[in-house]
Amino acid sequence: MPDLSAPSISYLGLAPVLIVLGAACIGVLVEAFVPRHLRWNAQVSLALLGTVGALAAVILVAGRNELTAARAVAVDGAALFIEGTIAALGALSILMFAERALDPAKSAFVASAALPVGSSADRKLATAPYSQTEVFPLASFAIGGMMLFAASNNLLVMFVALEVLSLPLYLICGMARRRRLLSQESAVKYFLLGSFASAFFLYGLALIYGYSGTVDLGEIREVAARSGASDALFVTGLALLIVGLLFKAGIAPFHAWTPDVYQGAPTAVTALMASCTKVAAFGAILRLLYVGFGTSEWTWRPLIYTIAIVSMVVGAILGITQTDVKRMLAYSSIAHAGFLLVGVIALGDAATAGRGLSSTLFYLLTYGLTTVGGFAVVTLVRDGDGEATHLSKWAGLASRSPLTAAVMTLFLLGLAGLPLTSGFTGKFAVFRAAIDDGAWPLVVVALLASAIAAFFYLRLVVLMYFSAPAEDGPTVGVPGLPTTIVLAVTAAATVILGLAPGAVLDLAEQAAVLVG
Amino acid sequence: MLNPYIPIVGLFALAAAFALFSVAAAPYIGPRRYNKAKVDAYECGIEPVDQPLGGARFPVKYYLTAMLFIIFDIEIIFLYPWAVANDSLGLFGLIEMVLFIGTVFIAYAYVWRRGGLEWD
Amino acid sequence: MSHAAVLAADVVSSGEAGAFWVLGPIALAGAIGMVLSRNAIHSALWLVLTMLSLGGFYFVQQAPFLGAVQIIVYTGAIMILFLFVLMLVGRDYSDSIVETLRGQRVAAILLGIGFAGLVGGLIADATSGVESVGLAESNADGGNVAAIARLLFTDYLLAFELTSALLITAAVGAMILAHIEHESGSRPGQKEQSIARIKGPRPQTLTGPGVFARGNSVAAPALLPDGSVAEDSRATGMKMRQPPAIASGSIDDLDDVTVDSGANRDGVPT
Repeated sequence: MPDLSAPSISYLGLAPVLIVLGAACIGVLVEAFVPRHLRWNAQVSLALLGTVGALAAVILVAGRNELTAARAVAVDGAALFIEGTIAALGALSILMFAERALDPAKSAFVASAALPVGSSADRKLATAPYSQTEVFPLASFAIGGMMLFAASNNLLVMFVALEVLSLPLYLICGMARRRRLLSQESAVKYFLLGSFASAFFLYGLALIYGYSGTVDLGEIREVAARSGASDALFVTGLALLIVGLLFKAGIAPFHAWTPDVYQGAPTAVTALMASCTKVAAFGAILRLLYVGFGTSEWTWRPLIYTIAIVSMVVGAILGITQTDVKRMLAYSSIAHAGFLLVGVIALGDAATAGRGLSSTLFYLLTYGLTTVGGFAVVTLVRDGDGEATHLSKWAGLASRSPLTAAVMTLFLLGLAGLPLTSGFTGKFAVFRAAIDDGAWPLVVVALLASAIAAFFYLRLVVLMYFSAPAEDGPTVGVPGLPTTIVLAVTAAATVILGLAPGAVLDLAEQAAVLVG
Repeated sequence: MLNPYIPIVGLFALAAAFALFSVAAAPYIGPRRYNKAKVDAYECGIEPVDQPLGGARFPVKYYLTAMLFIIFDIEIIFLYPWAVANDSLGLFGLIEMVLFIGTVFIAYAYVWRRGGLEWD
Repeated sequence: MSHAAVLAADVVSSGEAGAFWVLGPIALAGAIGMVLSRNAIHSALWLVLTMLSLGGFYFVQQAPFLGAVQIIVYTGAIMILFLFVLMLVGRDYSDSIVETLRGQRVAAILLGIGFAGLVGGLIADATSGVESVGLAESNADGGNVAAIARLLFTDYLLAFELTSALLITAAVGAMILAHIEHESGSRPGQKEQSIARIKGPRPQTLTGPGVFARGNSVAAPALLPDGSVAEDSRATGMKMRQPPAIASGSIDDLDDVTVDSGANRDGVPT
């Protein structure tokens, strides 16, 4: 006779994740049963429906604070804010996936990924009007995994979600239509290093389980508080978990994959990775550190403090030496990950309830939007060989296309954190939270790093406006509707969140609730 | 006291003895008339050829078969505890399992429709 | 340590000890064979032996689920994949020994040993005082397979269901990377071939090769009752053997065989 009962599941609370994963499953069925000439439109609509539906579901669910599915998933302010951010950024990335006006071959994705590069069949398909539309369900799976990753209150679910978000990304990194070898190389690198990072996470999970006898974050916190958290297993386990998460977030010294993968992957996929993956990884870092290890702050605070400095400095200084726009943006993302960690530090003690959480949430939103916009501009600047990403090609871009240069300048200023852009508001919020928490030396380093990083952002601006255009320079493509929407939304967000961030800051403030 | 495993050990011993006996006895009681065809390596009807070391690389489609095998193999692993605990799981366990298998079936549908199971 | 040893001596049954002394050397032999084999395929097969023995150990130690997973997934699936990957890369493939980063191997080995030492030491330190609960207690409620089922289908339900997303991704990924889809209509599929055959002049199968007592291969043509070659039995893409003269031929002498260089090694005619 049945003596067990199913765990109660709040389907409403899980709706955002379920909608995206459901869209992904239906997408695979579309791949199976819908003829090729109808697939593209079906897949684009499905993937957009999934992400926008998830965003709507987040708004519908907002305000709930509960744990569901046997305490495995948290439905709280922070989780919903991050799920909403990922859904929005995911929808924008999907729009970039769906762009068909820029590449003469219609799509940025390969027609048949299994064909060896350079074979006659491959060359024949180089201009084929179709492409592997599997990228859409795969991206949906990744986005669903990211949303669950940031919401999981259970290390095991977190690990499975980590894999659900990683596997599709490994795949779609290698599916560029142009420069396929570079793309495949990036996929292999990402896969190998990502597997190592997952293994670290899993090892840490096992050690934490060995220490506490549970994988539930709330219970881990209770066990840690009870026993004084002096156990070697506990510290080693936490360190290994953090290594896995830092890798996914692309934080130095676990950043080595970032430039290569960002450069090799199709730019739409890079936008997805740079925005959504980073948001998801930081969501998981926040939840892990605040919920699971909030009472044992002394174990991770010095570590995060140091890593924040390393990441900011590495990102800012190595960013200067780059000659490729995508690599430069990759190092920019490493530096920004350091700035985000400045916010993570500012948890504050229980009495004062620091602004660390809300400011980090806000920063994630502004950074994600600006980055997606930046990569969207990268897709516009093209020459005969696809995207022209070398910096020298961008010289004098303003004389070719003033609008493109202006939009790119806006994004670069936003990334640099200049006043009146969203980047400034975000940095200001994060730094203020850190100062409130007494971490002013860190903020000093962060300001210096910002100044160094501003150099390479502004260098590109100067290059676009004050250099003579190269003779055989790139052309600026006229974007179709999807990329136009992406550029409009991200540019508007960069300006509005810079000029009038009040409402969104309040929203982040309200959302700064973690249950568990 | 008779351990319940003793019959199983006996069965194992019997099976091993039979196998050993068959192999050992065959050369003595069977006729031995060899020809070249009999001593040939059997390669499923293919003309046997020496495979030079390093030269033998499998086509990548074998990998697809192996990968698909693993996917459904892992699915089977989840069936094992479900089957063992079916009594205590009852209807909701069945529903959960159907949900899981139904979802993995999507992968099967995809592979089947896109020709992954065809050997051309 | 000595306490644990005494405790273990009390618990270990003679059957378990017997299984240990049988499986232990086999597992060890497999491991040594894996390291010493010069041929990568042989190494993989040795490893299968070790893994099977480990599966046996798990069963003996009353962990049937772990044993089943070890044999079904690791030995059955992962090792097969391993073999396939070796075959894909080529059996003789060896690593390039050129270091692109100077000293990275040494650094990797030293850091690896350091990390292993650190984690190993910490775990040894942390677990040294732990009293084991014992099998009887941990398997109390219906054995550990049932216990796994209880956890899997209640507390970890979400993780379990989420695994299906991983499996779908894996299947889609394998198809994307390894399956070349042919332009529809560019070559007949199984269905089209079947239809064409049924509609054609010969719906039945062609005459088989004359392999009986003549060789194992399709290269031996079938003979009609009068000793002439059945033309239908000639395989395409390879040079057929000469049929022996039926009157004088002794069953023992067979002609030398030459294989058409156009024939693929895996038997697929080009």
